[in-house]
Formats: sequence, C-alpha cells, structure tokens
Amino acid sequence: MSEFDVIVVGAGPAGASAAIKLASAKVNVLLVDRADPPGSKNVSGGVLWGDSLTQVAPDWEKGPVERYVEAKGVSFLTKDSRISLDFRSKKFGEYKSGYTVLRTKFDAWLAKKAKDSGVMLVSGVTVDKIAMKDGKAVGVEQGGETITSDAVILAEGANSRIAYDSGLKRKPTDRNTALGVKEIIKLPEKTITERFGLTSPKMGFASEFVLGFLEGGVRAGGFLYTNKESLSIGAVISMAELRKNNKTYSFNVIEQFKEHPFVAPLLEGGRVEEYSAHLVPEGGISADSLNGNGYMIAGDAAGFTFSNGLVLQGMNYAIVSGIVAAESFLEKKEKGIQAGANFANYTENLSKTFVMKDMMNFKGIDKLTWSKYVHQTLPSIAEEAMLNMFSENGQPKKHLYKILTKSMSSHEESKLGMAMELLKMLRRM
Amino acid sequence: MGLKIVVMIKQVPDSQEVVIDPVTFTLNRSAARNVINPADENAIEAALRIKDKLPDTHITVITMGPPFAETALLDAMARGVDDGLLVSDRAFAGADTYPTGLTLAATITKIGDVDMIFAGEESTDSSTGHVGPGVAEFLGIEQASYTSNSWIEDGYVYAERELEDGIETVKMKPPSLITVVTNANVPRNATLRMKIDAIRKGIKTWTLADIELKPEWVGLKGSPTVVKSMRTMNEKKREGKKFKAGEMDKFVDELVSKGILKL
Amino acid sequence: MKIEERLSLLNYKIDKSYEHITVNPSICETCPDHFCTFACPAKCYSLIDGTLNFKYEDCVECGTCDLACSHGSVAWTNTKGGHGVKYKFG
Repeated sequence: MSEFDVIVVGAGPAGASAAIKLASAKVNVLLVDRADPPGSKNVSGGVLWGDSLTQVAPDWEKGPVERYVEAKGVSFLTKDSRISLDFRSKKFGEYKSGYTVLRTKFDAWLAKKAKDSGVMLVSGVTVDKIAMKDGKAVGVEQGGETITSDAVILAEGANSRIAYDSGLKRKPTDRNTALGVKEIIKLPEKTITERFGLTSPKMGFASEFVLGFLEGGVRAGGFLYTNKESLSIGAVISMAELRKNNKTYSFNVIEQFKEHPFVAPLLEGGRVEEYSAHLVPEGGISADSLNGNGYMIAGDAAGFTFSNGLVLQGMNYAIVSGIVAAESFLEKKEKGIQAGANFANYTENLSKTFVMKDMMNFKGIDKLTWSKYVHQTLPSIAEEAMLNMFSENGQPKKHLYKILTKSMSSHEESKLGMAMELLKMLRRM
Repeated sequence: MGLKIVVMIKQVPDSQEVVIDPVTFTLNRSAARNVINPADENAIEAALRIKDKLPDTHITVITMGPPFAETALLDAMARGVDDGLLVSDRAFAGADTYPTGLTLAATITKIGDVDMIFAGEESTDSSTGHVGPGVAEFLGIEQASYTSNSWIEDGYVYAERELEDGIETVKMKPPSLITVVTNANVPRNATLRMKIDAIRKGIKTWTLADIELKPEWVGLKGSPTVVKSMRTMNEKKREGKKFKAGEMDKFVDELVSKGILKL
Repeated sequence: MKIEERLSLLNYKIDKSYEHITVNPSICETCPDHFCTFACPAKCYSLIDGTLNFKYEDCVECGTCDLACSHGSVAWTNTKGGHGVKYKFG
C-alpha cells in the first residue's frame, strides 16, 4: 500500500489547485515545494485571467489579488514612437478579464488554502526524481529515500528538472522557450490610479508590447501591469534571437524597454523593489506525453501557456490542468485503481477543455509572434502611416489606403507578400 | 539512558527583508517574513552533531513565542531533533531578555535532567546575547558563550570559544549551557521523509501554568527594561585622507596636530 | 539601473555546502561564443581576461544557462533545502 494517494510536486497554481481538488474529495495528498515559504521562487508577468480558480477556491477574489483589469492595451514600440490599442470597458464586469497578482504572496495564500483543506504541505525540500518501478511512477525520491504514492502529479514549472531527470521531457530548444525578465516598481496607489486613467484604486491596466526597437535586432515582447502599489514591468526575450545576436545582455533588454521615450514617463518617480527572471514555455505542449503510468504533468511543466502577441496567459491554463489532473485521478479511484495506473484519461479530459483546444488551434503561432514581420516590418509601416495621417504639413489629404500602400512600398517585401502575411496573421491569431 | 539536550531557538524577521524606512529611519519589520534566527540554526546543528556521535541522545528544541513559531520547531524536528516544544501564553507578551531567560529556564527545569543546553549567540532582531547566558544564571549552571565547536568526552562538556585573540577551550561539568556563533557550522538540510514525520508527530505546547511561574514574573510585567528615548545616529563625514607606507611620521604628526593622539 | 544594483535587492539564502550549478572550465576555455554571459539574467557568467568566471550565489534559478550552453558545460540542478533566491513579490 502506498503512503499517499497522490503526491503533487510543485505548489504553484497547477499543483495547489490539484491538491485542493483532491483533498476536498478526501484523498490523502502530499504537496511538496522546493521553496520555503512556498511561492518564493515563483514568478510570472502577473495577470491571472478568467475565474477557473473559483472551482477550488471560491473566495480567491478576496485573497491577495492586486487590481481587476478594466483596461487592456497592446502597443508597438519603434525607436521614436508608440502605437497603441487601448481598450477600456465597463463591460469587463459581465465579461471576465483578470486580476493582476504578485505570485509570491498569491501562491503562498493558495498553498495555505491547500493546507487548510487537509493537504499535507511540505516546503523547502527539493524532490530529486520521480520514483519509477517497472515503468510505473510509484512515488518520489528525495535524499535517497522513496515516498510512495498511487499517483504523482508533476507541476514543477517551466524549468522542469525532475521531468528532465526522470526522462519524461526533453530539454526545450530555443524555439520552445523564452526568457522573462521582470522588475517590480513601487509607486503610490493614487499615482497609479491617476497615471493610468483608472476608474478606481481597485481597477487596473494590463498591456503587452512589441519591442520593435531593440539594439541589434533582438526580439522581445514587453508587458506592463498595474498592481495596488507597484507596477510589474518585464520583457520576454526570444532565446533564438538573443543567441543570434550574441552581444546584448538579457538583463539590459528590460532597461531599454524602461527607457523608451513613451514608457519612461509611466514609471517616473518609481523605485525598483525587485528584479526577477523566469523561463516562459513557448510553442505549446513540451512534455513527451502528458500522462503515463502513475503520473500526470500539469501547468508550465507541460508547456501550457498561451501567447499570440495580444494575449499572454499561463496561470489559468495551469489551474485548469491541475484540476483536470485531480479529476482524472478521482475518476480512476472510483473504478478502484491500482498504484501506477495509466492516466490516459487525463489527456482525454483535457482535450475537452480550452487548455488543449487552444494548444491545438494555435499550434505554431510562436513562429508568427516572433517573426521579423511582427517585430520590425509592421511597427515601422504603422509608424509611417500614422505620421502621414496625423501630421499637418499644408498638403492635400490622402486616402488612408494611399497612405498605407505608400508606407508599405518603402519596405523591401512586396505589397502582396505583406498583405498575405497580415491576412495569415489575422487568421492565426 | 542517553544524553538529554535542549536547544533554545527563536523565530525572527528575516534580516535581509527588514527595511529601514527612508523617512523615519525606523525598522519596518512588517514587510519581513519570519525565519529561524541564523545563529540558532547553528545551535541546532551543534546539538545534532553530538547526537550523530551518541545516537541515543534525545534533543528537544524549545521556543517562547506566538503559535506560528510552530513552523520553526517543525523545521528543527525535520533536521533530526526529537521533540519540539512551544512555550506560548499571552502573559509572555512584551518580555525583555530577563523574563524570557526566566521563562526558558523554568521550562528546562520542568523538562528535567537536561545535560546540555544550546542557544545561538544572539538574535538578529535585538542582538543582546542576553538570553542564553541568562538561562545559565537562572539555572545556576556553567556556561560557555560564543563557541564554534563542542563535544562530550569522559563525561565532560568541551567547548571552543572564539575570542578576539584566539580560541579558548573550556571544560565544563554537565549540565552546562553553550551559545553558538553564527556560521560555526553548516546546518544540514531536512529530508522529505523527516519533514513528513515531523508534521505527523507535531509539537507540544506549554503555557504559563505548565511552567509554574507567577504571572507578574513574566512578560511585560516582569521586564525591568525601560526605554527612555530612541534616536538615529547620523553618519559622520570622514575626511578620507590616505597615507602611503613610509609616511608613518606624517600620519602621526597629523593625528597629534588634530588632538586625536597624545604623545 | 546596473544589474549588480538590481541583484542587491534580492534576498538569498546561500547554500555554503552545495553549488547547484557547475561548469566545466576545459569546455568553456575553447567555447567560441560564451552565450551564457549574455543569456544569464543574473550575470553569474562573465569573462575575465578571456577566462569564463562563474558564481552560483547570485543565481535566480531560471534555468536559462542550461539551455543557452550548447556545448555541454553547464551541469544544472535545483537548489536544495529551501536555499537560493527568495522573492518577495515574484
């Protein structure tokens, strides 16, 4: 007999959600995190989209969330300009957006929630490996000892050492990973509310950026989110482009972003409180298989993140995958599972959710989001067109179509080629 | 019957996270998370090293503090300490180092037949270094402060004290108390097995009633310390003058002329 | 803001008994690109007089260097016992 029904490795949104779901069904769960306290090694851009957490923690909106996103932006930055879409809506009440969160606080809260619901929570211990016996996961190995369980849910995050060392996942290539670098900038609550034109101190702004102006042609996306009394600002850098360039320091990319003439004023008077970095999975599912005998992989460790340039999500995918992993265990348990059973039902159940559907429908979108077209061509065409459209130099006005085609013709690519790219982009996004 | 050891620990705000308010210059502890006082981690390790050599040694780790200090006790248990005991009571609130020492001494008396007591040299949140030696005085036993190494030989406790001009080895008759300097050793990590076992075992909690002290002897009432005033020190501007080797005469003349040195 | 200044804001519990990342100097000696020095967001890798210098104490445990090094020099493991970086915000 196993010591635990389920061992969950990693107390992030995926692991904690799985553990709570299991414990509420009276399953004997061990949740292990290598950080002490749990959450203190977790980083993300900072918006938790949707309300999937309600399933396991109905009161989460009263937990340590920062601001509710009522304003969402997307900006292209060239060296001298910022071209933005800024969408604000009162309808973000009936249509769910998301809350900005600070993961160290938020994940610690969620882990405590797990503990309070009956999970045995252990922090500050690093699991070495998944214990395998006859091709089945039978628990975890730590410090030369095996702790046994009927199933293991692996939710260790993007830097998946246990999955690599247990042979469940290959190390990602440059294409399957990006480097996120982030800073927390302290500002008074009132300043943030006023500066970003928010309707109340509870409301927030979240914007993604295409950083089309970086030195040496390095490609990176930027993000800027408002917390209660701080801003989360960061850059997500393409590993492939950084390697090709091989002279830009990753830690300087975020500084270039912060110093942009139309970003710097947003940060004015702020004090940097924290610097952090974390890998971001790219390009969809990264695990060789999401399930096997006795184990399931959830969250970032499985590669469940979504980015199409306009939207950057991960925590909601992590939460849903964690909950589905828990449900898949419960399903097997009802049928009287044996330790080490195959959890093929996890992959099946996931495919019914938006998690798997998005992974499939948007497969390969990273090629587009990291393309030269998005990072250089498009921003410069837009900049030129805007300058022509919004400046007044005493000449007769031109039709928008004329302005656009003129801006396009100054680029090496053919107009038809660019139009095709644009169409392709719209269809894939 | 093996040795009986008590380790006294304290949960403190992480000194790396205690920030100084740029306006009022006071310490803001509320932003800091709690950790085991660093020197106490070394004290736990020192005790565990004795147990490594004499496996039938029984170690109890104790702390006087609020209920959430349980985390620190469980952490110590997960490294190999046998029992965790929390001494917690509203009556202890506001204690300075005098009643703290008294409370811990009464706890140790109640535990009974203790051969060795370990403590960190001082806590990072008050840095008095009073409590360890105070407990030894209340108990009327021998003590060695600021030690970097200790062992048992022929029924005696040996400890190496780190002094300014060298290391002093002292030999004491048990029961005796030892305070351990920060970084005296490298504390071992807890294993998952031991963390699980510690959580299952849990800690014991004693209140004022268990240690049989009068309410007026503990907490704020039992504290003789009176804080009259507090002020921050302004940094003194230094001249930053440099003298090269061989300019000793010039250097001495300068000091004499400024009245810093008298010949 | 200099990277050194940014790193000084972080809380680390440094493990004095275990270096969770090690590099193989004989591989780094002949490395043509030293991409690690550009990729690592915590500047743990630097070239000093042409020789690669590595320090694990400033590591934020992102795992970038392990993926960045295509020459097999970096041996990456998780920190143990709750050691390493301890974010306040994340």
